[in-house]
Amino acid sequence: MTAFLEIILRLAVWLALAPLLPGILNKTKAWVAGRRGPPVLQLYYDLARLWRKSVVLSTLASPGFIAGPAVAWVALAAAALLVPLGPAGGALSFKGDVLLLVYLLAAARFCTAWAALEAGSSFEGMGAAREVSYAVLSEAALITAVLSLSVQSGSVTLGTMLTPPVGAGAALLAAGLFAVLLAENCRVPFDDPNTHLELTMIHEAMALDHSGPPLAVILHGASMKLLLFLVLLSEAVLPIRQLPAFTASAALAGTVLSVTVGVGLVESLLARFSFRRVPLLLTTAFLLCLFALLLAWKGGAQ
Amino acid sequence: MTPGHLLLIAAVAMFFGLLGGRGAPRLWLTAMLVGGIAALLAAIQVFVSGAQWDWRSEFSVCGEPLHLRLDAMSAVFIALLGALGGAGSVYSCEYWSDKAHPRSARAGRMWWSAQLLSLGLVLLSSNGLHFLIAWELYAVSSYFLITLDRQKREVRAAGWLYLAASHVAGLFLFAFFAMLAGRTGGWDLGPMRDHAELAPLFWLALFGFGIKAGMFPLHVWLPSAHANAPSHVSAIMSGVSIKVGIYGLVRFSGWLVVPAAAGWVVAVLGVISAVLGVAFALGQHDLKRLLAYHSIENIGIILIGLGFAMIAAGHGNAAWGRLALAGALLHVWNHGLFKSLLFLGAGSVVHATGTREMSLLGGLWRAMPWTAGLFALGAAAICGLPPLNGFVSEWLVYLGLFDSLIAHSAAARAAVPAVVLLAMTGALALACFIKACGVVFLGAARTNASARAHECGPMMRGPMLALAGSCVAIGLAPLVFWPAVARAASAWNPAWAGLEAPPSLGTIGVANVALTVIAIAAVSLLWRRTRKNGLRRALTWDCGYAAPSARMQYTAGSFAGIITEWFAWILRPLRHRQIPDGAFPADASFEEHTPETVLEQLIEPAGAGALQVAMVARRLQHGRLQAYLLYIVLGLAALAAVVLFGGGR
Repeated sequence: MTAFLEIILRLAVWLALAPLLPGILNKTKAWVAGRRGPPVLQLYYDLARLWRKSVVLSTLASPGFIAGPAVAWVALAAAALLVPLGPAGGALSFKGDVLLLVYLLAAARFCTAWAALEAGSSFEGMGAAREVSYAVLSEAALITAVLSLSVQSGSVTLGTMLTPPVGAGAALLAAGLFAVLLAENCRVPFDDPNTHLELTMIHEAMALDHSGPPLAVILHGASMKLLLFLVLLSEAVLPIRQLPAFTASAALAGTVLSVTVGVGLVESLLARFSFRRVPLLLTTAFLLCLFALLLAWKGGAQ
Repeated sequence: MTPGHLLLIAAVAMFFGLLGGRGAPRLWLTAMLVGGIAALLAAIQVFVSGAQWDWRSEFSVCGEPLHLRLDAMSAVFIALLGALGGAGSVYSCEYWSDKAHPRSARAGRMWWSAQLLSLGLVLLSSNGLHFLIAWELYAVSSYFLITLDRQKREVRAAGWLYLAASHVAGLFLFAFFAMLAGRTGGWDLGPMRDHAELAPLFWLALFGFGIKAGMFPLHVWLPSAHANAPSHVSAIMSGVSIKVGIYGLVRFSGWLVVPAAAGWVVAVLGVISAVLGVAFALGQHDLKRLLAYHSIENIGIILIGLGFAMIAAGHGNAAWGRLALAGALLHVWNHGLFKSLLFLGAGSVVHATGTREMSLLGGLWRAMPWTAGLFALGAAAICGLPPLNGFVSEWLVYLGLFDSLIAHSAAARAAVPAVVLLAMTGALALACFIKACGVVFLGAARTNASARAHECGPMMRGPMLALAGSCVAIGLAPLVFWPAVARAASAWNPAWAGLEAPPSLGTIGVANVALTVIAIAAVSLLWRRTRKNGLRRALTWDCGYAAPSARMQYTAGSFAGIITEWFAWILRPLRHRQIPDGAFPADASFEEHTPETVLEQLIEPAGAGALQVAMVARRLQHGRLQAYLLYIVLGLAALAAVVLFGGGR
């Protein structure tokens, strides 16, 4: 019973905190640009409004159009539950859970891309094609980062493998994972969440035809994915989990916040890359993770 | 009943189907189902008891006593054969009915029974001579099944290519078994782990069985054969026939001593097959050809597991090898189940629309909701997504690779590229199946053929449902299927007897069940909320454009374009384009086609070269008697020289 309650509590934390991040991001961007910007809680208002709105459905859409976002959301929430939260660890921890995490992210991608293709629109086709194609490279980078952590710690369990390397390895891993975070969450320079031109979108293009509650689920899922990557990045790079419980929680929250602000700064200072250069950047991220792996290997061999 | 009795029932039923099935479809179906179920039960008995069934006849066939053996390793494949054989038989009754195919349906039933019977014999036979006989029977009956629709030119071409490749494979196997018999002094097969001198023979087996398994670059026959065969035949070929190649490799790498390099070679070939198989699949526009290339990909995943298990066996039976082998063996089942499901789904699309060309389809979910849903489930399973079966076996292989890396073992260096490329293969497969499902089942119908499609009947839907059910079952309760895999692993390597399931396998099962339940709840919650808020239908948003047409949808080629561009170095796509030109451009067109590169750039030029050399040699034969006499004199002189100066007696 306590285990059940614990899972509910964790889920509540994830669900409640995730929509905060896009607000902080937008506030950062507004601050750099000298605007006042939307309130930090804007996404909560949007979600509440969308949840009550009626739905306009494409004439071509099948039930998968609604089921896709729901299943993708469940997969992301399940992935989030696997991620250890500082001193509290993960809700479910077993050998090989990190692979389940990677494949749950893939399952979410499958469902989102499926729902995108439902409407038979070229724009959504473009968005889905870009999403699944770039994911090939970002998944390679992500699994390489996982490999380097598991060589470093001698474990395939998320709970114990997030004992980060120190020095150059940590820096390389941080850079690589940060690029993966930007790509997987469709941030600048890979994608521009603020663009209004359908031709240049990735994630937004996939949700063009969604409205009402399904759109709310997609937006909430995306914010949860962002939080997941932020937590993963913080714990993979900084030795948060060795600290005492209260300090660790504070450190985790602080790191997540500062990386979020960092993403906002990147978004303010960089323009979106042309699509031809996206694979190059992702390959760079892969190489950074690969070097981190080689360093971990050298360290382990001594 | 012992496994022997059950196998006898299965054999009699198949034989009955072979002889009496031509005119009586219902009787034939009953016989096939009885045979399939009996074979499945025999395999289950072996898994439960763990004892192998071994039988030698008093009489001899072709000069050798019959020796049949059903151990856990062959039971893995026999179970697959029984299940898929039964499913395919039911499916064929509607898909390839006497009414629709009066010329070939009768022959099709006969060859189907013959193929199942000969495949069973291959899997059971423990005598090299009888193995070869059964192998040839199976190759020939497969040929007749592939070319059932032989009025079509491309079907004949595919059949011919298959037959040629089969015979090349057969040639290597003849050499393999003959040399094995020559060195051991008998045709009888069995564990020969103390004969180190037999090791080099493994290379012959790798070639012979590798061609059959469709390992890259020996896969050239596979795409066209799978695409052009009737779909229930494609399903059994992809589900069982190519697995017989895997069976041969697993069997003889377990029974014989293998060279030290063998595991590495198998693993490397596996990685190449996995990545390039899916890359070629992305370039395809033909639904069944696309599925065929995915068979190469999955054979690659199986070979990665087997290769690492072989390396582990060569390095003191390291524990991580067990996980890799268990993953590979479970993937044999999983791929058999979801790939046959996908082929049967593709068959029902072809049955409803008459085309395999994806650019002519679209929006089929409306007319064929069952097929669309089941195909989607198969697609998710083949992409290795939780909570389905593909994830479980890929997870086991991954775990083996990670463990070998953590242990800083001999194979650690190979494990890094294997893990990275396996992950990329998964992401590429996801892209490919999103493309296939999206273009075929979603959006708007691109042609009249797909607008007039109809759902398949219960005889076609039933087998698909059963296969989908087993995909879900293995995903949700992997521990139930573990004993089979563990027993097969101990048949492969006795040092790994009593293999315990990794403790987290049960957790994976629980997580999968929870995931399924919550996903269903979430879907129904969102659906109800949407209904409650109100639902309105409108045109798809096309940037304000008022009259979108079905031709404006994203196509298969454009969807895969980004990735096929990365792999253009090997795919070598052929493009014909007419670019719009001038102020009032007339016609413009663009056409892209991905050929079978290895066949067209490597095998065909080599064949043409061999033919040219042969043409030169042919000049020796011209019909002039004087010259022939001269040949004889020269030949005799050469022989005399050998006898006189060669030192021989």
